[in-house]
Amino acid sequence: MIAVALRGLRHRPGGFVATFLSAFLGATLLMTFAAMLDTAAGADTVSAESLSTTAAVAGGWCLIIVIFAVTSTLSLAVRRRAEQTALLRRLGATGPQVGRMIVGEAVAVALVASAAAVPVGLVLGRLLLALMQDTGQVAAGVGYAFGPVALGVGFGVTLLGSVVAAVATVRRTAGPAGARPERPRARRVAGVVFLLIATNCSVLTATLMDGKGIDAMQTAGQAGIWAAIGLALFAPELLRLVTAVLAGPVRLAGGAAGELAVLGVRQRTRRLAGAVMPVALFTGIATGTVYMQGIEDDAAAGTIQPAYARDIQTLNYVVVGMITVFVAIMLVNSLIAATAHRRREFAQQRLAGSTRGQVLALVSLEGLLVTATGVLSGSTASLFTILPFGAARADRVWPDASPVAYMTIVVIAVALTGLSLLGTTRRTLRGPAVAALR
Amino acid sequence: MTDAVRLETLYKTYDDTGTAVTALDGVTASFGAGTFTAVMGPSGSGKSTLLQCAAGLDRPTAGRVFLAGTELHAGKDTAMTKFRRTRVGFVFQDYNLLPALTVEQNVLLPSRLAGRRADHARARAVLDRLGLLDRRDDLPERLSGGQRQRVAIARALIGDPAVVFADEPTGALDLRSAREVLSLLRTVVHEHGRTVVMVTHDPVAAAYADSVLFLADGRLAGALSAPTAEAVAERLAHLGDLVGAGAEAVA
Ligand SMILES: Nc1ncnc2c1ncn2[C@@H]1O[C@H](COP(=O)(O)OP(=O)(O)O)[C@@H](O)[C@H]1O
Ligand SMILES: [Mg+2]
Repeated sequence: MIAVALRGLRHRPGGFVATFLSAFLGATLLMTFAAMLDTAAGADTVSAESLSTTAAVAGGWCLIIVIFAVTSTLSLAVRRRAEQTALLRRLGATGPQVGRMIVGEAVAVALVASAAAVPVGLVLGRLLLALMQDTGQVAAGVGYAFGPVALGVGFGVTLLGSVVAAVATVRRTAGPAGARPERPRARRVAGVVFLLIATNCSVLTATLMDGKGIDAMQTAGQAGIWAAIGLALFAPELLRLVTAVLAGPVRLAGGAAGELAVLGVRQRTRRLAGAVMPVALFTGIATGTVYMQGIEDDAAAGTIQPAYARDIQTLNYVVVGMITVFVAIMLVNSLIAATAHRRREFAQQRLAGSTRGQVLALVSLEGLLVTATGVLSGSTASLFTILPFGAARADRVWPDASPVAYMTIVVIAVALTGLSLLGTTRRTLRGPAVAALR
Repeated sequence: MTDAVRLETLYKTYDDTGTAVTALDGVTASFGAGTFTAVMGPSGSGKSTLLQCAAGLDRPTAGRVFLAGTELHAGKDTAMTKFRRTRVGFVFQDYNLLPALTVEQNVLLPSRLAGRRADHARARAVLDRLGLLDRRDDLPERLSGGQRQRVAIARALIGDPAVVFADEPTGALDLRSAREVLSLLRTVVHEHGRTVVMVTHDPVAAAYADSVLFLADGRLAGALSAPTAEAVAERLAHLGDLVGAGAEAVA
């Protein structure tokens, strides 16, 4: 079965590009930050503390996002090959055999991605150390070390994340073919737990961290991430809600295409919810971080700041940038997965009299509902960061800030969704409709 | 008698795989309004290609197609779709109903896509005639194959097309459902004055038609009117000898 798995990888590498990319980027970032811990081992106490704090704060964020990204891309890659898996099952492969195959593939991808990440992580770690030395946070004499912690965390987390994701996917797909019941209860419970953690972080920020200056960022930043994940776990419910509210206008705007879009979203809520998640994460984390940094900059103007304030500012923007890249991968990947297999459905619509333009309109309207849900969830999540941080740092809950940054974030979210959706759809519409049914 | 469909020296070459395959090799034929014609021939003889080119679902490499006297211009996909909407109904072997839509929504879809108001009364009248009125709110997955094919026929008829093309409409059905669908197509022609062109490989199915057109290697290979299953089977068996000889036969 492992041999079949490796052959599968060689022959159909396309489905694994996204998994590989997110595992590679994730392992790179994890190694970069974990190298700070290696470096701390040979540094003086003050430098060591700065290094450990940076690794813990930024590395912690990475950890959550990496696990999330690897899980989502991997399970989509596996689901995209559901046909092949089903065929193997029918040819007599047992559930555990197919399971070993999928886990084997995941391990292979994770290993290759982690190995490829080593040289890049090595260089980025050196840059990060140089940055911290420039700002005087770490003594100039501290030597760079890239050792067991960097490698252990980089390989370990990536491998573990991939195996857990693969096992979870196997458990979902290995049952009797076809029957794949959703377990909304577990998902909802997890969502509530994440939202409670988020609320806890928000309350801590507004109370305990009040007056602690820039340090309040730690809890405030986390609050937004937990809230974004929590709300993303409710994506199916939120998508249904948004669709119910917007059904009228969408039908009005799209005619028959609008009607099909509303029906399509209702029927495929679960699949489309996978695309809501990255939009929510991106909007939530980007908005939260950018506005939090804005509040901080205003509050800090003209006062004496701890040496690491500049570093944190840099790190914040690095985190936003890297989350944007991750989310772009997740989003494009989940939208491609949600669209490519609709080749047949689109062909059937065209045979029923739909023009290419009408199919594109339908897909755009579906994308609109998905994006609206994601942006709404993300914006709500960002408030878990912004409001308490404003209360703690500037004594005003609603920030005195320009909406331009927020609009930019929304435009990026819409553009990412729109471009990947329309790009994939256009490709599935090539050639005559009958050709898609052969 | 006016022709519902006229095909003039149609050629179709597929060469997307590198090696060119000639699926239609100069076919000229016409199908009179209000007739039921079966198209038969060995697998790979170009039957589906013929139907798809005639219906504006695919572009012939050369030749002309006239539907109800108007020439089909194999131009932009959108233009061809709009042309098809008003003139052609198409029925496939595997139904191609939209799984997310109910029976009635499926039947109404073409006119909705054409931007017309949903004519529920007309849809229900057609469904009633086809014995499907009580299933109008069901999703296709809840219907049998025969019922699904009848829904597909209802959908093909709703736009009042000049011609209904059917590509092996009974290919996926059991004997009884197949007979029902074939009788339905006959009724559509003889009681409602429609034109039907049906591809089949089953001599019994072909016997429901008024005439049979034989195709071999992308060329016409003869015709038969008032066919019986035995006569059709006999002709099919000798089709190899006829290739080339009867290429210019007309329906
Ligand atoms: N999309 C295609 N690409 C290449 N060759 C094709 C394609 N469609 C059909 N053909 C070829 O054209 C010929 C006629 O096919 P078709 O019209 O489907 O025959 P029939 O319906 O009589 O079985 C066959 O040789 C077939 O292999
Ligand atoms: Mg065929």
